[in-house]
Amino acid sequence: MASRRLLMAAAMLASAAAAALLSAPSDAQTERRTFVTHSGAVIETHGDVLDPMYTPSTVEFDPDEFLRNFEYGRVSEEDGRTVRDYTIVARDDLVQEVSPGVFFNVWTFNGTVPGPTLRATEGDLLRILFINNGSKTHTIHFHGVHPAEMDGVFEPVGPGGRFTYEFEAGPAGVHPYHCHVMPLEEHIVRGLYGMLIVDPPGGRAPADEMVMVLNGLDTDFDGENNLYAANTVPFYYQHHPIRIEAGKTVRVYVANMVEFDPVNNFHLHGNLYRYYPTGTDAVPAFYTDMVTMSQTERGIMEFEYEHPGRYLFHAHKVEFSEKGWSGIFLVERQGAPDGA
Amino acid sequence: MEPRRAAAAAAPAVLLCLLLAYVLGPGAGPLGMGVPLPEITVERVDFEGSEIRATVRNTGPIPVEIAHADVNDRIQPAAVEPDRHLERFEAATVRIPFEWNEAEPYVVGITVGDGTRFEVAVAAAAPATPPSWGLAGSFAAIGALVGVVPVAIGMLWLPLVRSAGAGWRHAMLAFTAGLLLFLAIDSGAEALDIAGSLAGAFDGPMLVATSAVLAFLALHYSASRLAGAAAAGISISVGIGLHNFGEGLAIGAAIGIGSLAFGSSLAAGFALHNVTEGLAIAAAVARRRPAIPALAALVLIAGGPAILGTWTGGFAYWPAASAVFLGAGAGAILQVVISVAGWIRSEGGSLGRPGVAGGAAAGMLVMYVTSLLV
Repeated sequence: MASRRLLMAAAMLASAAAAALLSAPSDAQTERRTFVTHSGAVIETHGDVLDPMYTPSTVEFDPDEFLRNFEYGRVSEEDGRTVRDYTIVARDDLVQEVSPGVFFNVWTFNGTVPGPTLRATEGDLLRILFINNGSKTHTIHFHGVHPAEMDGVFEPVGPGGRFTYEFEAGPAGVHPYHCHVMPLEEHIVRGLYGMLIVDPPGGRAPADEMVMVLNGLDTDFDGENNLYAANTVPFYYQHHPIRIEAGKTVRVYVANMVEFDPVNNFHLHGNLYRYYPTGTDAVPAFYTDMVTMSQTERGIMEFEYEHPGRYLFHAHKVEFSEKGWSGIFLVERQGAPDGA
Repeated sequence: MEPRRAAAAAAPAVLLCLLLAYVLGPGAGPLGMGVPLPEITVERVDFEGSEIRATVRNTGPIPVEIAHADVNDRIQPAAVEPDRHLERFEAATVRIPFEWNEAEPYVVGITVGDGTRFEVAVAAAAPATPPSWGLAGSFAAIGALVGVVPVAIGMLWLPLVRSAGAGWRHAMLAFTAGLLLFLAIDSGAEALDIAGSLAGAFDGPMLVATSAVLAFLALHYSASRLAGAAAAGISISVGIGLHNFGEGLAIGAAIGIGSLAFGSSLAAGFALHNVTEGLAIAAAVARRRPAIPALAALVLIAGGPAILGTWTGGFAYWPAASAVFLGAGAGAILQVVISVAGWIRSEGGSLGRPGVAGGAAAGMLVMYVTSLLV
């Protein structure tokens, strides 16, 4: 008798569980959502919206935080010279949401793509402790002037290994750094890169400074990028516009780290910028709204907006912009309320 | 004895359940070898108004989340209904607002949660025909024109077949067998063609083979239990009906997605092709003298499915279902070919006779020649 009662109880439990399972998903279907298309049409749906372009969303990596973040290192003084100590940890096991709904195994310096933006002044001694916590061999190869053994090419750092790169910062300008282990294209495109900014002695004129690393991700490994962006997350600055002040100088440190495609470019709307290739010269080489950059080409852009409002910036290789490399500057008057 | 037999029957079943519980349950770690990859199939693409609609099915071994939609490899905002999570074999509609141009090629891409992108190419965009009573009427008219009417006309040869001597009758039955053999192979080839376009998860070729064998067995079983004047005609009509359903599906689907202009030459081709099917039924029922209503019923069984096919194909085309129907048609018709051969033999005819051999050859040849018109 007891076993029979047990059986009945089990059957009742099972049917209750089945009923719960069957009824649970239906609640989500009743809500109607809307979204706006390119042409301004408003679409209503009872389903899910797939819209990385116009729908604000958050992923693990925060491009807003990255945009104006500069790592000056642990500063000390030796023999009257400034020494900057950094620690950079490589990993190749992180799966991050790189675009809403897309989870991809990125390879990272200090947990992000791009890696941290290092900043120093010309003549500083840089000491970068590199720890490889990945499962593959990695290095850091810095663009710039340094001794051969600090070049991060012939000194592979195996899993669990360490290496300290030590060299004098210079010349003043913008220099990318990246892993230099074969297969090189893979080690770069998976995310092992970042920017080193070297200020001239005495620094540059005050400005609203920001970093844009132009990059792409090949999420299906077919040798072509599926997603493009300034700072990794496609369309991010389009639905999270970058707020800047009218009349104030904006300085963008920009580097092109896109692989596979021979060129990338940077077009600014409603304005022109002074462009300093590699940031090594005090005099701008161009006054333009469009520069074309090959792999690891980089430079400094400076501009001021006269009129408040929303201004697009994007790759004028529009395939890239339609796959995520586009954003908006929101120009506001000083003291004006938000969104003016 | 009885409890022992029951135990003997149950023991392997219980052990099998335990094995499945172990394999499917948690803790079967060593069995989790290999990496299951997501796979989706874009089953159809419709162009409606200012929208491209893609029907997407999860045809892989694991659930997937749909992340992005693109047109010509450019990411577009989109909606997915009912939702972006797809269990195995579940389907969803991805609505992509897009100002498409008629008659131009498009590639629709869907990216899933791990970044893998799947795409389907459309050779020329054409506006989908929205379902309406008027369209349903047109489909019915087309189905009748290619199915019912030609079969009925072919049946009018019945008096001629009836008055013929045994030799001629055998020749006509052989002609029917040759003609049906053509239809069986045609249906089978068409089914395999569609099966080839199906996702791997459907095991397309075996889906066709299974449909064919089941239809063969079902028709054989029911034919051996049917009696009466129309019995022979029913099995042959059912076989031909399944084939015409497949033809209707193809026509309806092509019109439905706008890729076919159903012109007069095509209608004429189908009519000529299918008139021979009426002759086949006439030859099968000639000796049993069925009544007129029974004959009309046979015409509807053989020709009517063409109408159902155009509706199904035009309003709810699904390739897997087409493969099943066409495969079943092949199996059913093959069963009829064997029955017809049996009748000829039971009446003393044989393939060694010139009339029988010539009739079968002529049946195959006529079908091939008329198929060129379609």
